[in-house]
Amino acid sequence: MSVYLASILTNMALISFLALSAYLVLVVGEISFGQQAFFGIGAYVTATATVIFDAPVGLALLLSALCAGLAALLLAALTLRLSGLYFAIASLCFAELFRLSLLQIRLPLELDGRMTGPDGPEGFSNIRWIFDNNIEVVDFLSLTLACLGTLLMLLFVLERTQVMFCARLVGKDNILAQSVGVRPNLYRMCFICASGIVAGFGGALFALFNTHIEPQMFGVMLGVHALAYSIIGGLGAPIGPLIGVAIDIGLLESIRALSAYRMIVFGGLVAVLLIVFPEGLINPRFVNRVRNRTRPNVRVPQYLDWIWRHECSQGFLNPATSGRQGWPDRRKWQR
Amino acid sequence: MEFLQTSLDGILFGSAYALLALGFSLIFGIMKRINLAYGSSLLLGSAIAVWVNEHIGLGPLGLFLVTITAAALVNIYVERLCFCPHVGKTGVTASMIASFAIWMQLDEISSQLLPQRTHEFPGIEIGSVEIFNLYLRGDQILNLWIAIIAISALFLILRCTRFGLLLRASADNPETAKLLGANVSRIGIVTFAIAGFLGGTSAFLILSSDGHVTPLFGLWSTIKGLVAMMLGGVGSLVGAVLGGLLLGFLEAHTTNLFGAEYRDISTFGILFLVLILRPGGLMGVAHYRTDRLAHERI
Repeated sequence: MSVYLASILTNMALISFLALSAYLVLVVGEISFGQQAFFGIGAYVTATATVIFDAPVGLALLLSALCAGLAALLLAALTLRLSGLYFAIASLCFAELFRLSLLQIRLPLELDGRMTGPDGPEGFSNIRWIFDNNIEVVDFLSLTLACLGTLLMLLFVLERTQVMFCARLVGKDNILAQSVGVRPNLYRMCFICASGIVAGFGGALFALFNTHIEPQMFGVMLGVHALAYSIIGGLGAPIGPLIGVAIDIGLLESIRALSAYRMIVFGGLVAVLLIVFPEGLINPRFVNRVRNRTRPNVRVPQYLDWIWRHECSQGFLNPATSGRQGWPDRRKWQR
Repeated sequence: MEFLQTSLDGILFGSAYALLALGFSLIFGIMKRINLAYGSSLLLGSAIAVWVNEHIGLGPLGLFLVTITAAALVNIYVERLCFCPHVGKTGVTASMIASFAIWMQLDEISSQLLPQRTHEFPGIEIGSVEIFNLYLRGDQILNLWIAIIAISALFLILRCTRFGLLLRASADNPETAKLLGANVSRIGIVTFAIAGFLGGTSAFLILSSDGHVTPLFGLWSTIKGLVAMMLGGVGSLVGAVLGGLLLGFLEAHTTNLFGAEYRDISTFGILFLVLILRPGGLMGVAHYRTDRLAHERI
């Protein structure tokens, strides 16, 4: 495998962590423009731990996931009353505050004759873990893929449990969820915290791989891209965001010949894709249809399953506000 | 006296933010959707005007007309591609992400039209005014007046014309409006065209007082417009203008007190606090409560 291909794949895997964290927030029905902050927190914590405190890399990864998770929990607790656009803008503010305060932190250090440490806009350079341990790009790729695979497996297991089911119900219809005894705020806090942990872990690997990080890398564009990946991919299954990442980065790399016009093509393509699949490629409705064919979801109480299917197929109580308008569902009349 | 001068400078500078926030507020107040491509549609409008100006040569009036027409056309394109096909609750997220994708597209087209880092934007020359030892920039006073005229005109259109009634009806309940004979699709186009004309005017005024246009104008105007709108109150036109002026005022004072590098930090910090403590903004209606949402369904 060439180094070029390996580094592209590693970048894709790293961005997938961010896309998955945006996915976790979207599952509970919130839109976050601020996931890049947790990514950045992970990156900076790892850089500080490995370079300045000489911590072992496993500890650094855990610490950065923990710090990002705590930051996400803080954001979720502060914005408990907000939802929709308000939450989106609050998370944007949070992320921008983080990025702008990083620009003000200037603590340059000199270690072994090399400048390092957080230095405002110049960033944190010389994170030499990858060089000190003689790690090839391909090895790092397998490390990243192993972490991503573990995360995906965890998410797939979670998908079969009642937790994910209730979270999706909260995201689809907050009030309906409350009325069947699901606590929306609890699910919101837990999922936003989990998204912070995932993003922080990804950011930690990003810092190790890039060896140089700077505040400008964690701008609004990164977060909104991650959000776009999970929307294009769809919210039906954790594989959705990965498909989004693959479409974007894969497409950008394959139409490199048109490099000057690639954003023009890609932007239009995404808009058209969203017209055809408004809920993304792997949307909950599609997943339900596949599940109907294979085996019913038996791990949740029957009434929850019924509500979820109904909600996905045409909206509950008020068809005008939820679900897409379309042909009436014949099953409804048969019942 | 210095405090007064700083405040006045800030408020007058905020008039540019107010103009940007008005466009966002118009779209959000009517469609309940957020148009992320708004800032870059203004950038593309002015980029087209600059490009035409470099090739043919236009006077200030021609430049203004080309800017607002191009901005309105780009806005109609955004509406057709991102907002018209998405209806219902799931459409809110989908239209936002689609408008983000179109933002990327428009930014790329603009940077193709404006290959250099900065391009000169020829504008109107207006001198400064001095009253009681206070210096006021003429172009910023013009911005403020245009903002006030724009709100009055929008208010009159929304309250006193048949079109305004149709618009409010289709904002309130598109299904019912459709059943009663309103052409909801055409109303969407006209709303976006109005927002485009308004945005084109504000882009022209802001860029002509800056004297140059850069490809970063799209991101800048989106962020500043959003922040000003959220400060003032979502969906309220008066709130948008007050929010813009307040944002200018706060930025001027923090720049004066702590230096320019803390300006954005304080802006976002204040917005974050406002969102946590008073989520509706200054003038906004707090339609974020669960009980209100529950009430709407019945």
